[in-house]
Amino acid sequence: MADLSIERLSLSFGGLAALSDVDIAVPAGEIRGIIGPNGAGKTTLLNVISGLVRPTEGEIRLDGQPLTRLKASEVAARGVGRTFQTSLLFKGMTVLENVMAGMHQGLRTSVLAAAVGLPGVLREERRARERAREALAFVGMLSFAERDGASLSFGQQRLVEIARSLVAEPKVLLLDEPAVGLSPPRVAELDELLRRIRDKRGITIIMVEHVIRLVMGVCDRITVLNSGRKIADGTPDVILADPFVKEAYLGKSSDADRA
Amino acid sequence: MVTLSNEPSAPRAIKRRNLGWLVGRRPALAVGVLLFAVLPLMANPYQVYVGNLALIYVILAVGLNILLGLAGQLSFANGALFGVGAYATGLLRLDAGLPFWLALPVGTAITVAIGLAVALPALRLRGLYLALATVAFAQFALWTFVHWDSVTHGTAGFVMAPVDFTALGLRTTTGIYYLSLVLAVLLVAAAYGIMRSRVGRALVALRESEVAAESIAVDITRTKIVAYTLTAVYAGVAGGLFAGLLNVVVPESFNLFQIVLQFCMVVVGGLGSIAGSAIAAVLLIVLQEGLRGMQDLQEIGLGLLLLGMLLFAPGGLVQALRRWLPGWTEPHSRGGDE
Repeated sequence: MADLSIERLSLSFGGLAALSDVDIAVPAGEIRGIIGPNGAGKTTLLNVISGLVRPTEGEIRLDGQPLTRLKASEVAARGVGRTFQTSLLFKGMTVLENVMAGMHQGLRTSVLAAAVGLPGVLREERRARERAREALAFVGMLSFAERDGASLSFGQQRLVEIARSLVAEPKVLLLDEPAVGLSPPRVAELDELLRRIRDKRGITIIMVEHVIRLVMGVCDRITVLNSGRKIADGTPDVILADPFVKEAYLGKSSDADRA
Repeated sequence: MVTLSNEPSAPRAIKRRNLGWLVGRRPALAVGVLLFAVLPLMANPYQVYVGNLALIYVILAVGLNILLGLAGQLSFANGALFGVGAYATGLLRLDAGLPFWLALPVGTAITVAIGLAVALPALRLRGLYLALATVAFAQFALWTFVHWDSVTHGTAGFVMAPVDFTALGLRTTTGIYYLSLVLAVLLVAAAYGIMRSRVGRALVALRESEVAAESIAVDITRTKIVAYTLTAVYAGVAGGLFAGLLNVVVPESFNLFQIVLQFCMVVVGGLGSIAGSAIAAVLLIVLQEGLRGMQDLQEIGLGLLLLGMLLFAPGGLVQALRRWLPGWTEPHSRGGDE
Protein backbone atom coordinates (compact mmCIF):
# COMPACT_ATOMS: atom_id res chain seq x y z
CA MET A 1 0.00 0.00 0.00
CA ALA A 2 1.21 3.43 -0.78
CA ASP A 3 0.12 6.97 -0.22
CA LEU A 4 0.22 9.75 -2.74
CA SER A 5 0.48 13.39 -1.85
CA ILE A 6 0.05 16.35 -4.11
CA GLU A 7 1.42 19.59 -2.71
CA ARG A 8 0.68 23.11 -3.99
CA LEU A 9 0.45 21.86 -7.54
CA SER A 10 0.09 24.48 -10.24
CA LEU A 11 0.14 24.23 -13.99
CA SER A 12 -0.31 27.02 -16.44
CA PHE A 13 -0.17 27.08 -20.19
CA GLY A 14 1.13 30.53 -21.15
CA GLY A 15 -0.68 32.44 -18.41
CA LEU A 16 -3.78 30.27 -18.50
CA ALA A 17 -4.00 28.38 -15.22
CA ALA A 18 -5.09 24.76 -15.71
CA LEU A 19 -4.38 23.87 -12.09
CA SER A 20 -3.71 26.28 -9.26
CA ASP A 21 -2.39 25.45 -5.86
CA VAL A 22 -3.95 22.02 -5.62
CA ASP A 23 -3.26 20.06 -2.42
CA ILE A 24 -4.48 16.48 -2.20
CA ALA A 25 -3.33 13.79 0.21
CA VAL A 26 -4.45 10.28 -0.59
CA PRO A 27 -3.59 7.82 2.19
CA ALA A 28 -2.60 4.25 1.39
CA GLY A 29 -5.49 1.96 0.53
CA GLU A 30 -7.97 4.71 -0.16
CA ILE A 31 -10.29 4.97 -3.14
CA ARG A 32 -10.35 8.65 -3.98
CA GLY A 33 -12.79 10.24 -6.37
CA ILE A 34 -12.03 13.39 -8.31
CA ILE A 35 -15.11 15.17 -9.59
CA GLY A 36 -15.84 18.53 -11.13
CA PRO A 37 -17.42 20.08 -14.21
CA ASN A 38 -15.89 19.70 -17.66
CA GLY A 39 -12.70 21.70 -17.94
CA ALA A 40 -12.13 21.62 -14.19
CA GLY A 41 -8.68 20.11 -14.68
CA LYS A 42 -9.41 16.52 -13.63
CA THR A 43 -7.73 14.73 -16.53
CA THR A 44 -4.95 17.32 -16.48
CA LEU A 45 -4.36 16.41 -12.84
CA LEU A 46 -4.02 12.72 -13.77
CA ASN A 47 -1.67 13.67 -16.61
CA VAL A 48 0.51 15.64 -14.23
CA ILE A 49 0.59 12.81 -11.67
CA SER A 50 1.53 10.27 -14.34
CA GLY A 51 4.30 12.51 -15.65
CA LEU A 52 2.83 13.23 -19.08
CA VAL A 53 2.67 16.93 -18.26
CA ARG A 54 5.24 18.69 -16.12
CA PRO A 55 3.75 21.00 -13.47
CA THR A 56 4.75 24.64 -13.30
CA GLU A 57 5.03 24.40 -9.53
CA GLY A 58 4.44 21.96 -6.73
CA GLU A 59 5.45 18.47 -5.83
CA ILE A 60 3.92 15.00 -6.14
CA ARG A 61 5.18 12.30 -3.81
CA LEU A 62 4.60 8.56 -3.75
CA ASP A 63 5.37 7.24 -0.26
CA GLY A 64 7.34 10.42 0.30
CA GLN A 65 9.46 10.01 -2.83
CA PRO A 66 9.10 12.85 -5.33
CA LEU A 67 7.74 11.89 -8.77
CA THR A 68 7.59 15.37 -10.17
CA ARG A 69 10.71 15.46 -12.26
CA LEU A 70 10.45 11.97 -13.70
CA LYS A 71 9.50 10.92 -17.23
CA ALA A 72 6.10 9.31 -17.63
CA SER A 73 7.65 5.88 -18.14
CA GLU A 74 9.67 6.30 -14.94
CA VAL A 75 6.58 7.32 -12.98
CA ALA A 76 4.88 4.16 -14.25
CA ALA A 77 7.94 2.12 -13.32
CA ARG A 78 7.75 3.49 -9.77
CA GLY A 79 4.28 2.04 -9.40
CA VAL A 80 1.73 4.47 -10.79
CA GLY A 81 -0.56 2.72 -13.29
CA ARG A 82 -3.33 4.35 -15.24
CA THR A 83 -6.12 3.95 -17.73
CA PHE A 84 -7.38 6.51 -20.20
CA GLN A 85 -10.66 8.17 -21.02
CA THR A 86 -10.68 6.81 -24.53
CA SER A 87 -9.48 3.25 -24.61
CA LEU A 88 -5.86 2.95 -25.64
CA LEU A 89 -5.57 -0.76 -26.18
CA PHE A 90 -2.82 -1.65 -28.64
CA LYS A 91 -4.27 -2.64 -32.00
CA GLY A 92 -2.82 -5.66 -33.72
CA MET A 93 -2.37 -7.46 -30.41
CA THR A 94 -4.76 -9.89 -28.81
CA VAL A 95 -6.32 -9.07 -25.47
CA LEU A 96 -3.80 -11.38 -23.79
CA GLU A 97 -0.84 -9.76 -25.55
CA ASN A 98 -2.13 -6.34 -24.53
CA VAL A 99 -2.11 -7.42 -20.91
CA MET A 100 1.33 -9.01 -21.30
CA ALA A 101 2.56 -5.68 -22.68
CA GLY A 102 1.67 -4.21 -19.30
CA MET A 103 4.34 -6.39 -17.72
CA HIS A 104 7.13 -4.65 -19.60
CA GLN A 105 8.81 -3.42 -16.44
CA GLY A 106 8.71 -6.77 -14.64
CA LEU A 107 10.25 -8.82 -17.45
CA ARG A 108 13.96 -9.04 -18.12
CA THR A 109 14.36 -10.40 -21.66
CA SER A 110 16.88 -8.34 -23.65
CA VAL A 111 16.76 -7.75 -27.40
CA LEU A 112 19.66 -10.09 -27.95
CA ALA A 113 18.25 -12.89 -25.81
CA ALA A 114 14.92 -12.58 -27.63
CA ALA A 115 16.61 -12.59 -31.05
CA VAL A 116 18.61 -15.72 -30.26
CA GLY A 117 15.67 -17.33 -28.46
CA LEU A 118 17.44 -18.42 -25.30
CA PRO A 119 15.51 -20.96 -23.18
CA GLY A 120 15.14 -18.41 -20.36
CA VAL A 121 13.14 -16.22 -22.74
CA LEU A 122 10.53 -18.91 -23.34
CA ARG A 123 10.27 -19.62 -19.62
CA GLU A 124 9.72 -15.95 -18.90
CA GLU A 125 7.10 -15.74 -21.67
CA ARG A 126 5.22 -18.68 -20.19
CA ARG A 127 5.24 -17.05 -16.77
CA ALA A 128 4.13 -13.74 -18.24
CA ARG A 129 1.30 -15.49 -20.09
CA GLU A 130 0.14 -17.13 -16.87
CA ARG A 131 0.15 -13.89 -14.95
CA ALA A 132 -1.66 -12.07 -17.73
CA ARG A 133 -4.36 -14.76 -17.74
CA GLU A 134 -4.66 -14.41 -14.00
CA ALA A 135 -5.16 -10.63 -14.32
CA LEU A 136 -7.76 -11.15 -17.05
CA ALA A 137 -9.60 -13.60 -14.80
CA PHE A 138 -9.47 -11.02 -12.01
CA VAL A 139 -11.34 -8.47 -14.13
CA GLY A 140 -13.63 -11.14 -15.60
CA MET A 141 -12.28 -11.01 -19.15
CA LEU A 142 -10.41 -14.31 -19.41
CA SER A 143 -12.77 -15.75 -22.02
CA PHE A 144 -11.74 -12.91 -24.33
CA ALA A 145 -8.00 -13.58 -24.06
CA GLU A 146 -7.46 -14.57 -27.70
CA ARG A 147 -9.73 -11.92 -29.17
CA ASP A 148 -8.56 -8.84 -31.01
CA GLY A 149 -8.75 -5.92 -28.57
CA ALA A 150 -10.51 -3.72 -31.11
CA SER A 151 -13.44 -6.14 -31.36
CA LEU A 152 -14.50 -5.53 -27.75
CA SER A 153 -17.04 -3.02 -26.47
CA PHE A 154 -15.74 0.12 -24.78
CA GLY A 155 -16.58 -1.21 -21.35
CA GLN A 156 -14.72 -4.44 -22.04
CA GLN A 157 -11.73 -2.58 -23.46
CA ARG A 158 -11.53 -0.55 -20.28
CA LEU A 159 -11.50 -3.73 -18.19
CA VAL A 160 -8.63 -5.05 -20.30
CA GLU A 161 -6.85 -1.74 -19.74
CA ILE A 162 -7.33 -2.19 -16.01
CA ALA A 163 -5.88 -5.71 -16.26
CA ARG A 164 -2.96 -4.31 -18.27
CA SER A 165 -2.27 -1.87 -15.43
CA LEU A 166 -2.70 -4.50 -12.73
CA VAL A 167 -0.07 -6.91 -14.10
CA ALA A 168 2.55 -4.23 -13.49
CA GLU A 169 1.62 -4.48 -9.79
CA PRO A 170 1.17 -0.75 -9.32
CA LYS A 171 0.97 0.87 -5.91
CA VAL A 172 -1.42 3.52 -7.14
CA LEU A 173 -3.90 3.20 -9.99
CA LEU A 174 -5.23 6.28 -11.78
CA LEU A 175 -8.53 5.73 -13.58
CA ASP A 176 -9.93 8.29 -15.99
CA GLU A 177 -13.71 7.91 -16.22
CA PRO A 178 -13.81 4.11 -16.05
CA ALA A 179 -17.62 4.03 -16.03
CA VAL A 180 -18.22 5.99 -19.22
CA GLY A 181 -20.69 4.17 -21.42
CA LEU A 182 -21.49 1.41 -18.93
CA SER A 183 -25.07 0.36 -18.18
CA PRO A 184 -26.18 0.49 -14.50
CA PRO A 185 -25.58 -3.24 -13.83
CA ARG A 186 -22.08 -2.91 -15.29
CA VAL A 187 -21.44 0.11 -13.11
CA ALA A 188 -22.32 -2.01 -10.08
CA GLU A 189 -19.82 -4.65 -11.24
CA LEU A 190 -17.17 -2.01 -11.69
CA ASP A 191 -17.87 -0.79 -8.16
CA GLU A 192 -17.23 -4.29 -6.89
CA LEU A 193 -14.08 -4.69 -9.03
CA LEU A 194 -12.59 -1.47 -7.69
CA ARG A 195 -13.11 -2.66 -4.13
CA ARG A 196 -11.42 -5.97 -4.92
CA ILE A 197 -8.48 -4.15 -6.53
CA ARG A 198 -8.03 -2.22 -3.30
CA ASP A 199 -8.73 -5.07 -0.87
CA LYS A 200 -7.09 -8.03 -2.61
CA ARG A 201 -4.25 -6.24 -4.38
CA GLY A 202 -3.67 -3.46 -1.90
CA ILE A 203 -3.73 -0.77 -4.53
CA THR A 204 -4.61 2.84 -3.81
CA ILE A 205 -7.05 4.17 -6.41
CA ILE A 206 -7.54 7.70 -7.69
CA MET A 207 -10.50 7.93 -10.02
CA VAL A 208 -11.86 10.76 -12.13
CA GLU A 209 -15.51 10.01 -12.71
CA HIS A 210 -18.74 11.65 -13.79
CA VAL A 211 -21.07 8.84 -12.83
CA ILE A 212 -22.06 10.15 -9.42
CA ARG A 213 -23.62 6.89 -8.28
CA LEU A 214 -20.27 5.10 -8.65
CA VAL A 215 -18.28 7.90 -7.06
CA MET A 216 -20.59 8.21 -4.07
CA GLY A 217 -20.82 4.46 -3.66
CA VAL A 218 -17.22 3.36 -3.84
CA CYS A 219 -15.02 6.32 -2.88
CA ASP A 220 -13.75 6.82 0.64
CA ARG A 221 -13.20 10.49 -0.02
CA ILE A 222 -13.94 12.84 -2.85
CA THR A 223 -12.05 15.88 -4.07
CA VAL A 224 -13.94 18.47 -6.06
CA LEU A 225 -12.13 20.56 -8.65
CA ASN A 226 -13.48 23.64 -10.35
CA SER A 227 -11.51 25.81 -12.79
CA GLY A 228 -8.30 24.14 -11.71
CA ARG A 229 -8.84 24.75 -8.01
CA LYS A 230 -9.77 22.39 -5.26
CA ILE A 231 -13.08 23.61 -3.89
CA ALA A 232 -13.95 20.76 -1.55
CA ASP A 233 -12.53 17.57 -0.11
CA GLY A 234 -14.36 15.10 2.10
CA THR A 235 -16.41 11.94 2.50
CA PRO A 236 -19.25 11.40 0.02
CA ASP A 237 -21.85 12.55 2.57
CA VAL A 238 -20.04 15.78 3.24
CA ILE A 239 -19.54 16.41 -0.47
CA LEU A 240 -23.20 15.78 -1.29
CA ALA A 241 -24.23 18.23 1.42
CA ASP A 242 -21.77 20.96 0.50
CA PRO A 243 -23.72 23.88 -0.96
CA PHE A 244 -20.70 25.20 -2.82
CA VAL A 245 -20.30 21.81 -4.53
CA LYS A 246 -23.98 21.74 -5.40
CA GLU A 247 -23.76 25.06 -7.09
CA ALA A 248 -20.44 24.54 -8.84
CA TYR A 249 -21.03 21.03 -10.00
CA LEU A 250 -24.12 19.05 -9.18
CA GLY A 251 -26.63 21.85 -9.51
CA LYS A 252 -25.63 23.43 -12.73
CA SER A 253 -24.35 20.48 -14.67
CA SER A 254 -26.40 17.98 -16.58
CA ASP A 255 -24.27 15.37 -14.88
CA ALA A 256 -26.64 15.54 -11.95
CA ASP A 257 -29.14 13.65 -14.09
CA ARG A 258 -26.93 10.63 -14.04
CA ALA A 259 -26.85 10.54 -10.24
CA MET B 1 -17.01 -13.71 -9.44
CA VAL B 2 -17.93 -10.83 -11.70
CA THR B 3 -18.15 -11.06 -15.39
CA LEU B 4 -18.45 -7.74 -17.08
CA SER B 5 -18.46 -9.66 -20.29
CA ASN B 6 -21.66 -9.67 -22.24
CA GLU B 7 -21.51 -13.24 -23.37
CA PRO B 8 -18.30 -15.21 -23.40
CA SER B 9 -18.19 -16.36 -26.99
CA ALA B 10 -15.84 -19.08 -28.14
CA PRO B 11 -12.56 -17.64 -29.36
CA ARG B 12 -12.01 -18.03 -33.07
CA ALA B 13 -8.66 -19.68 -32.47
CA ILE B 14 -10.32 -22.94 -31.55
CA LYS B 15 -12.19 -23.20 -34.82
CA ARG B 16 -9.02 -22.44 -36.77
CA ARG B 17 -7.19 -25.48 -35.50
CA ASN B 18 -9.47 -28.05 -37.08
CA LEU B 19 -8.81 -26.90 -40.60
CA GLY B 20 -5.25 -27.96 -40.17
CA TRP B 21 -1.95 -26.34 -39.45
CA LEU B 22 -0.67 -27.44 -42.85
CA VAL B 23 -1.56 -24.13 -44.41
CA GLY B 24 -0.20 -22.24 -41.43
CA ARG B 25 2.61 -19.74 -41.40
CA ARG B 26 5.36 -22.01 -40.11
CA PRO B 27 4.92 -24.79 -42.69
CA ALA B 28 4.64 -22.18 -45.44
CA LEU B 29 7.89 -20.56 -44.37
CA ALA B 30 9.56 -23.96 -44.09
CA VAL B 31 8.52 -24.85 -47.62
CA GLY B 32 9.82 -21.50 -48.80
CA VAL B 33 13.21 -22.12 -47.19
CA LEU B 34 13.33 -25.60 -48.72
CA LEU B 35 12.59 -24.25 -52.19
CA PHE B 36 15.34 -21.67 -51.80
CA ALA B 37 17.71 -24.36 -50.55
CA VAL B 38 17.30 -26.53 -53.65
CA LEU B 39 17.06 -23.71 -56.19
CA PRO B 40 20.81 -23.66 -57.09
CA LEU B 41 20.64 -27.38 -57.88
CA MET B 42 18.09 -26.96 -60.64
CA ALA B 43 18.19 -23.35 -61.83
CA ASN B 44 20.36 -21.51 -64.31
CA PRO B 45 22.85 -18.88 -63.06
CA TYR B 46 20.49 -16.01 -63.79
CA GLN B 47 17.72 -17.58 -61.76
CA VAL B 48 20.15 -18.22 -58.93
CA TYR B 49 21.11 -14.54 -59.07
CA VAL B 50 17.45 -13.49 -58.87
CA GLY B 51 16.92 -15.89 -55.97
CA ASN B 52 19.92 -14.44 -54.20
CA LEU B 53 18.67 -10.90 -54.75
CA ALA B 54 15.30 -11.95 -53.35
CA LEU B 55 16.98 -13.34 -50.21
CA ILE B 56 18.84 -10.06 -49.72
CA TYR B 57 15.59 -8.15 -50.03
CA VAL B 58 13.92 -10.52 -47.57
CA ILE B 59 16.53 -9.39 -45.03
CA LEU B 60 16.00 -5.74 -45.98
CA ALA B 61 12.21 -5.84 -45.88
CA VAL B 62 12.01 -7.81 -42.63
CA GLY B 63 14.45 -5.32 -41.10
CA LEU B 64 12.51 -2.29 -42.33
CA ASN B 65 9.32 -3.87 -41.07
CA ILE B 66 10.70 -3.71 -37.52
CA LEU B 67 11.03 0.07 -37.71
CA LEU B 68 8.10 0.84 -40.01
CA GLY B 69 5.61 -1.93 -39.31
CA LEU B 70 6.21 -2.79 -35.68
CA ALA B 71 7.49 0.46 -34.18
CA GLY B 72 5.51 2.65 -36.59
CA GLN B 73 8.35 5.05 -37.38
CA LEU B 74 8.00 6.51 -40.86
CA SER B 75 11.69 6.54 -41.76
CA PHE B 76 12.97 6.85 -45.31
CA ALA B 77 16.59 6.31 -44.34
CA ASN B 78 16.71 2.60 -45.06
CA GLY B 79 17.57 2.79 -48.75
CA ALA B 80 20.56 4.92 -47.85
CA LEU B 81 21.56 2.63 -44.98
CA PHE B 82 21.43 -0.31 -47.37
CA GLY B 83 23.87 1.72 -49.46
CA VAL B 84 26.08 2.43 -46.48
CA GLY B 85 26.20 -1.31 -45.81
CA ALA B 86 27.17 -2.05 -49.41
CA TYR B 87 29.76 0.73 -49.57
CA ALA B 88 31.23 -0.10 -46.15
CA THR B 89 31.65 -3.80 -46.86
CA GLY B 90 32.84 -3.16 -50.40
CA LEU B 91 35.36 -0.47 -49.50
CA LEU B 92 36.69 -2.47 -46.55
CA ARG B 93 37.49 -5.25 -48.99
CA LEU B 94 38.76 -3.10 -51.83
CA ASP B 95 40.69 -0.36 -50.06
CA ALA B 96 41.33 -1.73 -46.57
CA GLY B 97 42.08 -5.25 -47.82
CA LEU B 98 39.83 -7.01 -45.32
CA PRO B 99 38.54 -10.46 -46.23
CA PHE B 100 34.79 -10.65 -46.91
CA TRP B 101 33.98 -12.59 -43.73
CA LEU B 102 35.47 -9.72 -41.72
CA ALA B 103 34.32 -6.87 -43.97
CA LEU B 104 30.65 -7.93 -43.69
CA PRO B 105 30.34 -7.66 -39.88
CA VAL B 106 32.53 -4.55 -39.70
CA GLY B 107 30.51 -2.99 -42.53
CA THR B 108 27.33 -3.84 -40.64
CA ALA B 109 28.72 -2.20 -37.50
CA ILE B 110 29.50 0.94 -39.51
CA THR B 111 25.95 0.92 -40.89
CA VAL B 112 24.53 0.68 -37.37
CA ALA B 113 26.75 3.56 -36.22
CA ILE B 114 25.56 5.76 -39.08
CA GLY B 115 21.97 4.56 -38.58
CA LEU B 116 22.16 5.66 -34.96
CA ALA B 117 23.66 9.00 -35.94
CA VAL B 118 20.53 9.53 -38.06
CA ALA B 119 18.26 8.16 -35.38
CA LEU B 120 19.42 10.43 -32.58
CA PRO B 121 18.13 13.68 -34.12
CA ALA B 122 15.13 11.77 -35.51
CA LEU B 123 14.06 10.55 -32.06
CA ARG B 124 12.17 13.75 -31.37
CA LEU B 125 10.42 13.74 -34.73
CA ARG B 126 7.22 11.99 -35.69
CA GLY B 127 5.17 11.35 -38.77
CA LEU B 128 5.69 13.82 -41.58
CA TYR B 129 8.64 15.57 -39.91
CA LEU B 130 10.44 12.29 -39.41
CA ALA B 131 9.74 11.39 -43.03
CA LEU B 132 11.18 14.72 -44.26
CA ALA B 133 14.27 14.50 -42.08
CA THR B 134 15.02 10.97 -43.21
CA VAL B 135 14.41 11.81 -46.89
CA ALA B 136 16.95 14.59 -46.42
CA PHE B 137 19.40 12.06 -44.98
CA ALA B 138 18.80 9.71 -47.89
CA GLN B 139 19.53 12.49 -50.38
CA PHE B 140 22.61 13.54 -48.44
CA ALA B 141 23.90 9.96 -48.38
CA LEU B 142 23.38 9.66 -52.14
CA TRP B 143 25.20 12.95 -52.67
CA THR B 144 28.07 11.63 -50.55
CA PHE B 145 28.27 8.38 -52.53
CA VAL B 146 28.51 10.42 -55.74
CA HIS B 147 30.74 13.29 -54.69
CA TRP B 148 33.13 11.99 -52.02
CA ASP B 149 35.37 10.65 -54.78
CA SER B 150 38.43 10.02 -52.66
CA VAL B 151 36.57 7.45 -50.57
CA THR B 152 33.54 6.27 -52.55
CA HIS B 153 35.14 6.31 -56.02
CA GLY B 154 32.47 8.73 -57.22
CA THR B 155 29.76 8.36 -59.85
CA ALA B 156 31.20 5.26 -61.49
CA GLY B 157 31.44 3.37 -58.22
CA PHE B 158 33.91 0.52 -57.91
CA VAL B 159 34.45 -3.09 -58.84
CA MET B 160 35.75 -5.77 -56.50
CA ALA B 161 37.21 -9.20 -57.00
CA PRO B 162 34.60 -11.94 -56.47
CA VAL B 163 34.37 -13.24 -52.91
CA ASP B 164 36.45 -16.38 -52.49
CA PHE B 165 34.57 -19.42 -51.15
CA THR B 166 37.10 -22.07 -52.19
CA ALA B 167 37.83 -22.79 -48.53
CA LEU B 168 34.28 -24.16 -48.32
CA GLY B 169 34.59 -25.88 -51.69
CA LEU B 170 31.96 -23.58 -53.23
CA ARG B 171 31.90 -21.36 -56.26
CA THR B 172 31.46 -17.64 -55.54
CA THR B 173 27.85 -17.49 -56.69
CA THR B 174 26.85 -20.59 -54.74
CA GLY B 175 28.75 -19.40 -51.68
CA ILE B 176 27.08 -15.97 -51.61
CA TYR B 177 23.73 -17.60 -52.29
CA TYR B 178 23.88 -20.00 -49.36
CA LEU B 179 25.39 -17.37 -47.07
CA SER B 180 22.43 -15.13 -47.93
CA LEU B 181 20.01 -17.97 -47.31
CA VAL B 182 21.49 -18.83 -43.91
CA LEU B 183 21.57 -15.19 -42.83
CA ALA B 184 18.03 -14.60 -44.09
CA VAL B 185 16.73 -17.58 -42.13
CA LEU B 186 18.60 -16.53 -38.98
CA LEU B 187 17.49 -12.91 -39.25
CA VAL B 188 13.85 -13.81 -39.91
CA ALA B 189 13.92 -16.16 -36.92
CA ALA B 190 15.51 -13.41 -34.83
CA ALA B 191 12.79 -10.97 -35.90
CA TYR B 192 10.13 -13.45 -34.79
CA GLY B 193 11.91 -13.99 -31.48
CA ILE B 194 12.06 -10.26 -30.87
CA MET B 195 8.47 -9.69 -31.92
CA ARG B 196 7.13 -12.30 -29.54
CA SER B 197 9.04 -10.97 -26.57
CA ARG B 198 8.55 -7.96 -24.31
CA VAL B 199 10.67 -6.01 -26.79
CA GLY B 200 8.22 -6.68 -29.61
CA ARG B 201 5.27 -5.74 -27.45
CA ALA B 202 7.03 -2.50 -26.49
CA LEU B 203 7.59 -1.72 -30.19
CA VAL B 204 3.92 -2.24 -31.00
CA ALA B 205 2.91 -0.20 -27.95
CA LEU B 206 5.08 2.61 -29.30
CA ARG B 207 3.42 2.34 -32.71
CA GLU B 208 -0.10 2.41 -31.30
CA SER B 209 0.22 5.15 -28.68
CA GLU B 210 3.26 6.76 -27.13
CA VAL B 211 1.15 7.93 -24.19
CA ALA B 212 -0.21 4.48 -23.45
CA ALA B 213 3.25 2.97 -23.96
CA GLU B 214 4.68 5.30 -21.35
CA SER B 215 1.88 4.39 -18.98
CA ILE B 216 3.13 0.79 -18.99
CA ALA B 217 6.68 1.97 -18.26
CA VAL B 218 7.98 1.66 -21.83
CA ASP B 219 10.81 4.16 -22.30
CA ILE B 220 9.96 5.79 -25.63
CA THR B 221 13.45 7.01 -26.50
CA ARG B 222 15.10 3.74 -25.66
CA THR B 223 12.56 1.69 -27.57
CA LYS B 224 12.99 3.87 -30.65
CA ILE B 225 16.76 3.45 -30.45
CA VAL B 226 16.28 -0.32 -30.30
CA ALA B 227 14.09 -0.19 -33.41
CA TYR B 228 16.51 1.99 -35.39
CA THR B 229 19.45 -0.18 -34.36
CA LEU B 230 17.77 -3.43 -35.34
CA THR B 231 16.70 -2.09 -38.72
CA ALA B 232 20.23 -0.80 -39.36
CA VAL B 233 21.67 -4.24 -38.57
CA TYR B 234 19.43 -5.82 -41.21
CA ALA B 235 20.22 -3.06 -43.74
CA GLY B 236 23.95 -3.44 -43.08
CA VAL B 237 23.97 -7.21 -43.55
CA ALA B 238 21.81 -6.90 -46.67
CA GLY B 239 24.08 -4.18 -48.07
CA GLY B 240 27.21 -6.26 -47.49
CA LEU B 241 25.66 -9.27 -49.20
CA PHE B 242 24.48 -7.05 -52.08
CA ALA B 243 28.06 -5.85 -52.61
CA GLY B 244 29.25 -9.46 -52.48
CA LEU B 245 26.60 -10.57 -54.96
CA LEU B 246 27.19 -7.88 -57.59
CA ASN B 247 30.91 -7.23 -57.03
CA VAL B 248 30.06 -3.73 -58.16
CA VAL B 249 28.86 -0.85 -56.03
CA VAL B 250 27.39 2.21 -57.75
CA PRO B 251 25.53 5.13 -56.17
CA GLU B 252 22.39 4.86 -58.28
CA SER B 253 21.45 1.55 -56.63
CA PHE B 254 20.55 3.54 -53.53
CA ASN B 255 18.37 6.33 -54.92
CA LEU B 256 14.77 7.10 -54.12
CA PHE B 257 13.56 4.11 -56.12
CA GLN B 258 15.35 1.88 -53.63
CA ILE B 259 13.32 3.15 -50.69
CA VAL B 260 10.06 3.00 -52.68
CA LEU B 261 10.83 -0.63 -53.46
CA GLN B 262 11.48 -1.46 -49.80
CA PHE B 263 8.37 0.42 -48.63
CA CYS B 264 6.37 -1.49 -51.21
CA MET B 265 7.57 -4.79 -49.80
CA VAL B 266 6.59 -3.92 -46.25
CA VAL B 267 3.22 -2.43 -47.22
CA VAL B 268 2.31 -5.10 -49.78
CA GLY B 269 3.24 -7.79 -47.25
CA GLY B 270 1.22 -6.12 -44.53
CA LEU B 271 2.63 -3.62 -42.03
CA GLY B 272 3.93 -5.40 -38.98
CA SER B 273 3.90 -8.87 -40.52
CA ILE B 274 7.33 -10.50 -40.79
CA ALA B 275 6.09 -13.31 -43.03
CA GLY B 276 4.29 -10.75 -45.18
CA SER B 277 7.46 -8.69 -45.66
CA ALA B 278 9.43 -11.80 -46.60
CA ILE B 279 6.84 -13.05 -49.08
CA ALA B 280 6.35 -9.62 -50.65
CA ALA B 281 10.11 -9.18 -50.99
CA VAL B 282 10.38 -12.36 -53.04
CA LEU B 283 7.32 -11.53 -55.15
CA LEU B 284 8.43 -7.97 -55.90
CA ILE B 285 11.97 -8.99 -56.84
CA VAL B 286 10.63 -11.62 -59.22
CA LEU B 287 8.19 -9.07 -60.64
CA GLN B 288 10.92 -6.47 -60.99
CA GLU B 289 13.17 -8.90 -62.82
CA GLY B 290 10.28 -9.89 -65.06
CA LEU B 291 9.87 -6.24 -66.02
CA ARG B 292 13.60 -5.65 -66.52
CA GLY B 293 14.26 -3.67 -69.64
CA MET B 294 11.14 -1.65 -69.02
CA GLN B 295 12.56 0.70 -66.43
CA ASP B 296 9.70 3.17 -66.67
CA LEU B 297 7.12 0.47 -66.29
CA GLN B 298 8.95 -0.79 -63.21
CA GLU B 299 8.71 2.51 -61.41
CA ILE B 300 5.15 3.27 -62.46
CA GLY B 301 4.12 -0.29 -61.64
CA LEU B 302 5.57 -0.13 -58.15
CA GLY B 303 3.97 3.23 -57.50
CA LEU B 304 0.58 1.93 -58.62
CA LEU B 305 0.99 -1.22 -56.57
CA LEU B 306 1.82 0.79 -53.43
CA LEU B 307 -1.12 3.12 -54.00
CA GLY B 308 -3.48 0.27 -54.77
CA MET B 309 -2.51 -1.68 -51.69
CA LEU B 310 -2.87 1.37 -49.44
CA LEU B 311 -6.31 2.11 -50.87
CA PHE B 312 -7.81 -1.33 -51.25
CA ALA B 313 -5.87 -3.71 -49.04
CA PRO B 314 -4.21 -1.80 -46.22
CA GLY B 315 -3.74 -5.07 -44.33
CA GLY B 316 -1.54 -6.38 -47.14
CA LEU B 317 -0.99 -9.90 -48.42
CA VAL B 318 -0.91 -11.31 -44.96
CA GLN B 319 -4.45 -10.20 -44.25
CA ALA B 320 -5.65 -12.08 -47.30
CA LEU B 321 -3.66 -15.10 -46.15
CA ARG B 322 -5.25 -14.92 -42.72
CA ARG B 323 -8.68 -14.68 -44.26
CA TRP B 324 -8.28 -17.53 -46.75
CA LEU B 325 -6.03 -19.84 -44.79
CA PRO B 326 -7.56 -20.54 -41.41
CA GLY B 327 -4.34 -21.99 -40.04
CA TRP B 328 -2.45 -18.78 -40.65
CA THR B 329 -1.82 -16.77 -37.52
CA GLU B 330 0.19 -13.62 -37.57
CA PRO B 331 1.06 -11.89 -34.33
CA HIS B 332 1.25 -8.12 -34.00
CA SER B 333 0.53 -7.17 -37.58
CA ARG B 334 -1.43 -3.98 -38.07
CA GLY B 335 -4.13 -5.95 -39.83
CA GLY B 336 -6.01 -3.05 -41.41
CA ASP B 337 -9.71 -2.96 -40.60
CA GLU B 338 -11.24 -6.36 -40.44
